[in-house]
Amino acid sequence: MAYSDKVLDHYKNPRNVGSLAKDDPNVGTGLVGAPECGDVMKLQMKINPETEVIEDAKFKTFGCGSAIASSSLATEWIKGKTLEEALTIKNTEIVKELNLPPVKIHCSVLAEDAIKAAIADYKGKQSVSTAEGATVASATAD
Amino acid sequence: MMDRIATEKQTARVTSPLQCWECRTALADEQENGIHFCSQCGKVQPLATKTDYFSFFGLTRKLGVDAAQLEKQFHQLSWKLHPDKFNNAGAYERDLSLERTAALNDAYRTLRDPAARTEYLLRLEEVRKEGKVKQQAPPDLLEEVFELNEHLEELRAAKRSGSDPRALDEQRHQLEKARGTFQHKLDQVLAELTNQFAAWDALLDTRPGDAAAKRTVLARMNEVLNRHSYIRNLVTNVSDELEQ
Repeated sequence: MAYSDKVLDHYKNPRNVGSLAKDDPNVGTGLVGAPECGDVMKLQMKINPETEVIEDAKFKTFGCGSAIASSSLATEWIKGKTLEEALTIKNTEIVKELNLPPVKIHCSVLAEDAIKAAIADYKGKQSVSTAEGATVASATAD
Repeated sequence: MMDRIATEKQTARVTSPLQCWECRTALADEQENGIHFCSQCGKVQPLATKTDYFSFFGLTRKLGVDAAQLEKQFHQLSWKLHPDKFNNAGAYERDLSLERTAALNDAYRTLRDPAARTEYLLRLEEVRKEGKVKQQAPPDLLEEVFELNEHLEELRAAKRSGSDPRALDEQRHQLEKARGTFQHKLDQVLAELTNQFAAWDALLDTRPGDAAAKRTVLARMNEVLNRHSYIRNLVTNVSDELEQ
């Protein structure tokens, strides 16, 4: 199967490969997989808690060229966006941009899922820390 | 995978009764049920569109397949359908023997392997559909799979850069251990999968029309199969790396 030029470009020069500190409360991590090909994709984002803008994004994907290209593109797209904006990214936009064939659609779904999972992880961390903050506050009030 | 035989449920066809292309003997449903030759004149017949890998061997969609029996049937059919036997036949008949031989190989390869057989059934029953139905990755496995892939990557990088033998040995040792763990998991998940076979086969016997019950069993098998795909890939990747 021939890969499109855009897939090859992202595959050969992937953007934003790497990782961010998983335990940082301002970092959201999404780890997702596609059993069809046994792909695993980790996408991380660093968020400014004041503005909810994604300031940095990194990924690491073990899988086929389309999965790598989809996650590489996803990190490019989410940088500088707010969480709300990032949540509107649809896998069909990735398919269109990269010209993915029908048998590789699940790769783009994976990238969309990774974004959502990372945001959910970040929000989970934030609500825990606010809850802890609240407990501390009420403890001091007592 | 070749899709010479239907892999998804066929829509009902309006057909006149099937006939032998040579002697016009009515073949009725025979052709869809593991009958490869005309009962009258013995000519090899084209594949019916409804034929699937199970019916090719005259089997129902039960998953408990007798491996020895299947192998025997495979050898017998390979012999009977072998294109060499059709050297003196007409072009059409030669094509039919080729077509059936190719289908035989695909069907046998799929049905003899419990995981491939399950995946095939799930596609026939439309539980698995590329691009239509999303498969869920087992979350508890992902972390481990990711880490092991990172180990593999490190080992490859270390090999490339020709780093010192002690570090390489240590990496290999880690991977050997991981391979053992995952091989054990693979055995477990295969056992889990084959345990589901009995439930499915019993359903086909007792309540073949109970669509809801079927969906439940199929969904469970699909989940186990997804775990299986990950673990099998890992074992293969790690083994490849270690044996290089």
